[in-house]
Amino acid sequence: MTTVLDATRVLAERARRARELVVDMAASPRGCHLGGSLSVMDILIAALERANRDEGTRVVLSKGHAAAGLYAALHVSGVIEENPAPVYGLPGSPYTGHPGPKVPGIAFPTGSLGHGVPYAAGWAMALKLGGRHGLGVAIAGDGELQEGLVWETVQVAVARRLGNLVIVVDRNGGQNDGLVADISPLPKLAERFTAFGCDVLEVDGHDLAELSAVFADDREGADRPLAVIAATVKGMGVPAVQGRAGAHYVTIGEDRAEKWKRTIR
Amino acid sequence: MTLSGRDAYRDALTRLAYDDERILCIEADLGGKNHPFALAHPSRFFNFGIAEAAMVDMAAGLAAGGYKPFLSTFAPFAALRAAESLKLTLGYLSAGVTVVAPYAGVSGAWFGTTHHCLEDLAVLRSIPGVVIAAPYGEAEMRAVVGAAAISGRPHYIRTGRNAAYESLPWEGESPPAVNWESTADSGAVCLVSVGEEGTRMALEARLERPGLGHAHLCYLDHAHLAAAAVELAERHSRFVVVEEHRAEGGVAEALALLLPGRIVVGVNAGHGWPVQGGDHNEVMAQLGLDLDAVRSAVDRAELGG
Repeated sequence: MTTVLDATRVLAERARRARELVVDMAASPRGCHLGGSLSVMDILIAALERANRDEGTRVVLSKGHAAAGLYAALHVSGVIEENPAPVYGLPGSPYTGHPGPKVPGIAFPTGSLGHGVPYAAGWAMALKLGGRHGLGVAIAGDGELQEGLVWETVQVAVARRLGNLVIVVDRNGGQNDGLVADISPLPKLAERFTAFGCDVLEVDGHDLAELSAVFADDREGADRPLAVIAATVKGMGVPAVQGRAGAHYVTIGEDRAEKWKRTIR
Repeated sequence: MTLSGRDAYRDALTRLAYDDERILCIEADLGGKNHPFALAHPSRFFNFGIAEAAMVDMAAGLAAGGYKPFLSTFAPFAALRAAESLKLTLGYLSAGVTVVAPYAGVSGAWFGTTHHCLEDLAVLRSIPGVVIAAPYGEAEMRAVVGAAAISGRPHYIRTGRNAAYESLPWEGESPPAVNWESTADSGAVCLVSVGEEGTRMALEARLERPGLGHAHLCYLDHAHLAAAAVELAERHSRFVVVEEHRAEGGVAEALALLLPGRIVVGVNAGHGWPVQGGDHNEVMAQLGLDLDAVRSAVDRAELGG
């Protein structure tokens, strides 16, 4: 019998392997958005596990700059057969710096921030109209919440009573030019989502058991979208960059990548 | 009674939806009360509120879920405010989403510049894969909406406010790439009409000058214009394109590239901003878009451009 503990261990191993691939992509000629790819990894692994066993559920990485994390997560989750790391960013490869629909498992192009939330909302609405089972899952960054389109969509989703829409905020506190708190802070974020009419959960974004429990909920009968505020750490799992705002975009050499991979936890 | 373009759209879509349960009608709070689709199919009509970009992006998700979303809001809000969503959803994703945009050109008249859109063709023509139409009259609008509903392809349909016109007749189901309202000697200038007011003005000019040719274009995306250019070039070498749009990104500019060696003169909205009130025709006249401009353009084309 598979226990919750066993299942979590499987996911943890996937997350560890995926983090290795992300470091490999940071060592590619292009480099990658390392910090955000690592902070969102556990959320991605848990969400894709739900999507893998439920064809009605679609996961949209709205913070598309974490594409390296998404490709790695899709690979270790069995959606992408080939290892994307060796060809990441190269001519002839679909694994561009922001994800597009040529990659298996990616339904919507993201990278221009804000758009993934309405894509997922539209998917959730289609499910609801058809009386079908599943979730529309959008994974957004906390910096991304500065985009008006996110809130425009939340307002529509609440009005349309899309209880099967799950918006996960990867709250790593960083954005391109610095800290969210310094640039355009998000005071009372949970209260803000609540005020818009969402259900709200605050979770540890690196606790795979907790995340899996969130995504296991079918939200049958729910009529308020769910906002999951996931506390995360930029660069999580790679001690050399963990918690460092400067790890937003990183290009490293192969020697350093090998060293970093040996320290992944 | 002949219906305006936007009323014809609403009626056509309402009728199509009886036989196609996948059709959805979505508005961004500009559909008005007693929308016929809402009355006939309330479970498939949605006013998303004033949220144009969210509307377009959500339509991508709805299309992925098997639906045929038809979205409508005024042209400036669709083509300009939600331009990036159009690029991603209609262009990159090639989602089967149709955007119907009334208030194109300056049909918003005295409502002012925020409600005008003389730039939508430039935006949409630069997004590959989008079928673009500017129907003239009720029958053309009905045909274009019907074609969009079965095509599975992204569409942008441009129309005016309340003007109602009888469409020019054509053979077949869908409006052709070129609808020859009048053929003429190959040496004659050929008017090329685009949209409601462009076509109205071309018809008025030809009444004055029966010897002119007149080709009406309903579909305005690159593929249709390329086909139209071949047909136009077979009959004429001097063209006057009449359109309620800026010169940049408009149909005359496109045809000039597609018709090398031919003379293409544009009658368009130029570079001005309509800052005064007035009815639709009066606001067009402020921009130099009137019958005099067509006459002058024909003279220039006859003299060699």
